[in-house]
Amino acid sequence: MNFIFTEDQIQFKEAIKSFLTDECTPQSIREGWEIKKPFNQERWSNLIDLGILSSNLPEEKGGLGIDQVTLTLMVEEMGYAGLPEPAAEQTFLVNDLISILPQNIAEAVEDLYEAGTKYISLAHPLAPNPLFAKDSAGLILLDESECKFISKENIDLEIITSNDPSRELYKINSINDSISSNENFTELNAAVSARGSLMTAALLIGLAQKMIDLSSAYVLDRTQFGKPIGSFQAVKHMLADVAVAIEFAKPAVYRAAHSLSDNNSKLLLHCAHAKFMCSRAAELACKNSIQAHGAMGYTWEMDLHIYMRKAWSMMACWGNEDIQQDIIFKTLSSSSEELGVLYTF
Amino acid sequence: MHLLKKEMQILKMNINFTNEQNTFRDEVRAWLESNVPQTPLLSLDTKEGFEQHREWERTLNQGNWSMVTWPQEYGGRGLDLIQWLIFEEEYYRAEAPTRVNQNGVFLLGPTLMEFGTHEQKSKFLNAMATGDHIWAQGWSEPGAGSDMAAIRTTAVLEGDRYKINGQKTWSSRAAYADWTFGLFRTDLDSERHKGLSFILVPLDLPGITVRPIPQLDGEPGFAEIYFDDVEVPVENLVGGDGEGWKIAMATAGFERGLMLRSPARFQQTAAKLLKLYLERQDQCSPMIQAKVVEAWVQSESYALSIYHTASKMLAGGSIGSESSLGKIFWSELDHMMHQTALKILGASAELSEDPQNDAAKWIKGFMFSYAGPIYAGTNEIQKNIIAERLLGLPR
Repeated sequence: MNFIFTEDQIQFKEAIKSFLTDECTPQSIREGWEIKKPFNQERWSNLIDLGILSSNLPEEKGGLGIDQVTLTLMVEEMGYAGLPEPAAEQTFLVNDLISILPQNIAEAVEDLYEAGTKYISLAHPLAPNPLFAKDSAGLILLDESECKFISKENIDLEIITSNDPSRELYKINSINDSISSNENFTELNAAVSARGSLMTAALLIGLAQKMIDLSSAYVLDRTQFGKPIGSFQAVKHMLADVAVAIEFAKPAVYRAAHSLSDNNSKLLLHCAHAKFMCSRAAELACKNSIQAHGAMGYTWEMDLHIYMRKAWSMMACWGNEDIQQDIIFKTLSSSSEELGVLYTF
Repeated sequence: MHLLKKEMQILKMNINFTNEQNTFRDEVRAWLESNVPQTPLLSLDTKEGFEQHREWERTLNQGNWSMVTWPQEYGGRGLDLIQWLIFEEEYYRAEAPTRVNQNGVFLLGPTLMEFGTHEQKSKFLNAMATGDHIWAQGWSEPGAGSDMAAIRTTAVLEGDRYKINGQKTWSSRAAYADWTFGLFRTDLDSERHKGLSFILVPLDLPGITVRPIPQLDGEPGFAEIYFDDVEVPVENLVGGDGEGWKIAMATAGFERGLMLRSPARFQQTAAKLLKLYLERQDQCSPMIQAKVVEAWVQSESYALSIYHTASKMLAGGSIGSESSLGKIFWSELDHMMHQTALKILGASAELSEDPQNDAAKWIKGFMFSYAGPIYAGTNEIQKNIIAERLLGLPR
């Protein structure tokens, strides 16, 4: 029992943070918005060159074989930076699924995606509009009963606007030809949902942290009544509440990631728990950050909304707070497994 | 320019209990199963109940379970914080009696471990473990609550003795306790945080008057202590003269955040709440389900966070202002859980007559949950600490 990160995991997180601080600035995100091309090809190429997109593939497939805990730390930083490119999706929802996808679909993906360097999009009832599908080589589609893989030329897509200009979403109009399988569909569907919950949870923690950092800096700078507004208790307490929410959401994310890497039997519960806590924390971060910024928080000019919009999207997709709550309640009220005080780990 | 060199092995975090830890858990469980009293003890805030709880402290000590993290020479087992968490989990699972000496074992104990002399540790830790010294807190004064630096009770050094005059209040357990620890102004010309000293005082000395204060539940859980020329030997000073503030803050920040309220307590409440809801689900509004889930999820999060903190401390880290985050979290959670329980109980939520009745326990816990956001530093003070020390906002 050692619920702490290794030196290597922390170094890895720091390396990604420093790359994203330089490469994924608010200005660069806004430039993508202005030209209505949020997917920055140059940044994507850098992510490939750095080995980030293949980091969680096994070494024999050209990756670094990092586990889901390390991956989660990495995705947290992608949230913090508000990274528009679907690097979290590629690593969490494609690379990490390869080994459990039905064989025919896994083979089709691997033929196309060149060890994680070509993007594959994914659609699921909990996130039905595939992200950057036009930039992808193909689409994995899970519907109510089966899993399909469709290559780019066999699909008719229509752009559909997201409230977050960093997210280019598509509606699937029609599919010409696909490979499909319903093999172990229930398990696969659960595995995909769990990863979606955990991925969005990790992104939300990063986003919430970014919002509180922006807010702390703002209230130090902004003066009223002759002093920084951050010296007023009403403002302090609002931000302290966010700090509390983030502090207690984080370990739930790391435990869920560990359960994923350990194939823990309570994995689904743990992922739902993580998403629930992170949605709550991010929601409070949005509410209190905009309030701390005053009218400036309600402007397009202030960078806050770059992160707030992404947070709203991440709360909504892959199971919002209420969906997670249902999953948790169903597990708690029907599980034959021991839960609670002696079974935290 | 790969971020990671191929040869760099990413070691994995391991959060599974070791065999040794599981064996320890079994040992704790077996001992508690054969030693926890069959019938619940009377309230520890009654004279008779207090002595029953003192007796339980003695029983714990006979099993060598008083404080597993202390070194063996002081009555402990020299175990680490993870093992302490395991012990606490089993303790709450077994529904063992409340620790009447929690001021001693969880607050003063760690302080002495850090700042006490060998003689002080030997004398006080052992007496704490045996239940011979049950401790009361002596921080607040009528004019020094949240503003603790406004302390005015004086302790003037005369030869080898301090002469104490003044008044403490809200002293938990003081109605029946044997000793109190607290801050006293030893430099009469000093102001605020300076000139305070951390002194240990027996409560049976001449010149001491203890006036119990009935709490919301009608029982004297705290008291006022009046000091009128009370003389204590200089050996009862912990740390240096004038270092009291530093020592008190270290107690607060260092261990209190981790030890004052162990997660098992809240996980156990959440589990009982879930059980209560499942039993009465058909009689309550579906709206309550969300609160029951929230209780479970939050108590689980608190546990995870404490394991995370304990792991950090084992790796050589320390906790400071972070303990304020936890205090807010558990005190709000505890209140929410009890409030929800009363909602599930519907009209029986006012029936406090029968002590064996579920409702009676929930009502008592509900009232006590209002104290959480106040004691150990109000949540408003904790939020100031978070904003100023963790977020870097100006005072």
